[in-house]
Amino acid sequence: MDMLQHLVSGFGAALSPAYLAYAFAGCMLGTLIGVLPGLGPAAGTAILIPLTFKLDPTGAIIMLSAIYYGAMYGGTITSVLINVPGEAASVITCIDGHQMARQGRAGTALGIAAIGSFVGGMVATIALVVVAPPLAQMALRFGPPEFFALMLFGLCLVSGLAGRSMLAALLMTVLGLLLAMIGIDPVRGAPRFAFDIPDLYDGIGFIAVVMGLFGISEILLAAEAPVRDVVRTKLSRLLPSREEWRRSLGAIGRGTGIGFALGLIPGIGAIVPTFMAYVAEKRLSKTPERFGQGAIEGVAAPESANNAYANAAMIPFLTLGIPSSPTIAVLMGAFIINGITPGPFLFQERPDLVWAVIASFFVGNVILLALNLPLVGLWAKLLHLPFQYLWVGVLLFCVVGAYSLQQSTFDVWVMIAFGIIGYVFRKVDLPLAPLVLGLILGPAIEKSLRTSLEMSAGDYSIFITRPLCLGLLIAAAAVLVGAALKLAPNALRRLSFSGIPVKSNEGGGP
Amino acid sequence: MTQDNSPNGCAELIVLACLCAVFGIMAFIAFGYSLRDALGPGAGFFPFWLGTLGVVLSLALFVQSWRGRAIGEGTQALLPRGDRAWRAAALLAGLVAAALLLQPLGFRLAMLVFSVGLLLALGVRRPVAIAIFALASSFGLFHLFYHWLQVPLPIGLLGI
Amino acid sequence: MMKSLVKRALAAVAVIAASSGIALADDFPSRPVQLMVAFPPGGSTDVGARIVASIAEKILGKPIVVLNKGGAGGQVGWTDMARQKPDGYYIGYINLPATNTVVLDPERKATFGVDAFVPIINQVLDPGIVWVRADSPYKTLKDLVDAAKKAPNTIRTATTGILGDDHLAILMLEEAAPGAIFRIVHLEGGAAQLKEIMGGHVDVAFDNVGSVAPRVRSGELRGLAVMDHQRSKFVPDVPTMKEVGYPTVISSSTRGIAAPKGLPQPVLKKLEEVLKKAMEDPEHVQKLESAGLAVKIMVGDEYARYYREIHEQAKKYTEWAKSRPHK
Repeated sequence: MDMLQHLVSGFGAALSPAYLAYAFAGCMLGTLIGVLPGLGPAAGTAILIPLTFKLDPTGAIIMLSAIYYGAMYGGTITSVLINVPGEAASVITCIDGHQMARQGRAGTALGIAAIGSFVGGMVATIALVVVAPPLAQMALRFGPPEFFALMLFGLCLVSGLAGRSMLAALLMTVLGLLLAMIGIDPVRGAPRFAFDIPDLYDGIGFIAVVMGLFGISEILLAAEAPVRDVVRTKLSRLLPSREEWRRSLGAIGRGTGIGFALGLIPGIGAIVPTFMAYVAEKRLSKTPERFGQGAIEGVAAPESANNAYANAAMIPFLTLGIPSSPTIAVLMGAFIINGITPGPFLFQERPDLVWAVIASFFVGNVILLALNLPLVGLWAKLLHLPFQYLWVGVLLFCVVGAYSLQQSTFDVWVMIAFGIIGYVFRKVDLPLAPLVLGLILGPAIEKSLRTSLEMSAGDYSIFITRPLCLGLLIAAAAVLVGAALKLAPNALRRLSFSGIPVKSNEGGGP
Repeated sequence: MTQDNSPNGCAELIVLACLCAVFGIMAFIAFGYSLRDALGPGAGFFPFWLGTLGVVLSLALFVQSWRGRAIGEGTQALLPRGDRAWRAAALLAGLVAAALLLQPLGFRLAMLVFSVGLLLALGVRRPVAIAIFALASSFGLFHLFYHWLQVPLPIGLLGI
Repeated sequence: MMKSLVKRALAAVAVIAASSGIALADDFPSRPVQLMVAFPPGGSTDVGARIVASIAEKILGKPIVVLNKGGAGGQVGWTDMARQKPDGYYIGYINLPATNTVVLDPERKATFGVDAFVPIINQVLDPGIVWVRADSPYKTLKDLVDAAKKAPNTIRTATTGILGDDHLAILMLEEAAPGAIFRIVHLEGGAAQLKEIMGGHVDVAFDNVGSVAPRVRSGELRGLAVMDHQRSKFVPDVPTMKEVGYPTVISSSTRGIAAPKGLPQPVLKKLEEVLKKAMEDPEHVQKLESAGLAVKIMVGDEYARYYREIHEQAKKYTEWAKSRPHK
């Protein structure tokens, strides 16, 4: 009950006018940063650090944390409205979220995203208070081999993203994996496929690629279709229907769970939980064909996962001092500049500060919800701008966003190139989501494999002798087998259709 | 039994052939990086096998498509018909022009030209609206990024 | 008559000077200066850069904007800087020995050489440190080296990156203690090291004092040795390499500011002056020290000499690293 006492006094501090104002400012700034493409939460947070020099440590941290999870929501807004992910983690929301916007349900999508984010964030923060230290310790058992197995498992989930053609999904995944290998390799530390272009030394820039694949291609496709008037909706339609509520509930719950679990493991990155939550929803749904056409669970699940992840990632950070992502690393820099070292001793040395910060997470999540829900209608109205301004505006937005990533025109070119590629792929129905998955997971898989082998001096048994790793590998294999079993009857049928004689167990010939 | 070629059947074949070529080239280049290493897979190992797998998959899809089975719904023609075609082309041309002009003209001028040019190309004929939009998006955005967010945007040869 | 002739001559000189683009120190800077950091935001180089920029720009009179050009272990940023005009408006951080290894590793195919930059001023010197978990069986560096000799290529030793200063430092120790061979595991950054050490996936880490000082002080981690000539004031209880018997193992990561070669002397001097003043400012020192970074200002010949020394040292160990049988 000592903890409860601490929490209460933490609330006392967090709800003081000054800290409340900082949290509010942080949420607003964070949402703005999330909305602006290119400028990711890490860069945005770093830029705003000097702002906090004038604040006391607690205030500075409250503000920076608010910016951090505020940015998670901000990215959703552009994903839904214009199919441009404001930041990497919002990519998967584009798939169903933007479809909903095209059907005139942008408000609903944004609304459920806000609610899902709220639930995800709150649950994660409650868990932070209740079970933080033991959970964090458990998560430490994820070393490079376990990481490798987990990422491999994630890759096997691509079968869940496949639409009509599994072959196409596999092809796109392979393309994504291969594109991810442009740049410095984990073996020699030297560039691969860089063709002596320095801008390629670090790879092709995930955000520029995704902005092009999703955002630019969307505009190009829209331009050649007859001008659709975006379905105008009454305000009452901004709320989800009963049916949609029902479906979202489960999605929010599962998304929160997945986001939370993965947030505990340092180094996962925000995109993986959103993908896994999406695929899980699709798998568990009785009507998976709705996904990709504007299924509300396709928004609710990743969004809850997103914020649950962001808040859960604070756990290893606060309890062990291990930053899970570049953005949290920036946050850690801010801590350190203010003379605070996050870690196990922090709870003992500065309980006042830690609990005020934790309390402000609760407050911040509420502020985010209160800030964004009313604005949902306003954002949705943006889509009703005359199409010329909308298109030119979006393109401008993308250009400045791509440039601002590394202050380089090269990223703008990458974005344009992938805009054309995305346009072409969408025309021939090659799915984009598996490509993105490959792009994200590729480096993680290769790197963790390499590190594992360095750890074991080349001995592959390291993957089998560690129980957690073995378990994950078996799970990955199970997913693959399951997908194969599902497809086998179809494949057999197709082969016989095209005249190749096939022995079928089901008795009777072609 | 083959179906009639869908509108984009040709397009599918071209795309798949291109992909096949890309995969092949990458696999070839990867072969030049060592495949094995003292500890295990070398720098070229994964790219090589992935490239090879990509070639196989794209060939398989190619064959499938040749026999008339489209990858997806197969309903969209690759190149649009009629006057709508040039709209997408105009936007693309505008983007390319913007990227080319970004450094020489600097952000503000390039975006000014870009927005005015595209709005006119898309048929907007309201000078005041165009002016406001163009100024906001060029000078306005510049101010936001450069001064508030401390993100430097290009300043061109003319010093603007 | 003479006066007007002199006047006209002076005017002519001024016109020639202006039109040939010589940046006279007087009108520098006439617009903001970009300070490039070759690493993503939030890292210790970035933190140091932002602190010095915010102080120096007040002295300079024009804004100093920090530009993050991270990637490829710094190669992207340094490549970019090497291509810039040496007019003083684009300066950037060089991290020694990282910058050197990029040049020295043939596989990196660096498009710039060691002479591409003219060093202006050094800001931070962060000595290397060997550390383990508090409950590790290695209580002293001797324990570690003995274990490495007894079971060569078994002790999992983490670096913060391939061919970084930590990697080279491990090789230096192996050279100084023949027979000791470490199983080198390359991680990405200090945070990854912390995670893997705490989880027990690696046994010992080589990093820099700035990254771990607060935790060593609090007892969460144990420092085995500091690779400097004297003890670090941030971790006063950790012995130096000399004290534990390996005086040749001296390694540190330095961060300083440089410009593309060809920077005119007057501009160089002006920048040096401004930055030195900013770095000597008590606020700067205090902020950096609270982050565990030791300010070590080096300018002019001293810094240029140091640059060359580090390059020679890095050359030797880079070649060894590339040819080492146990990767």
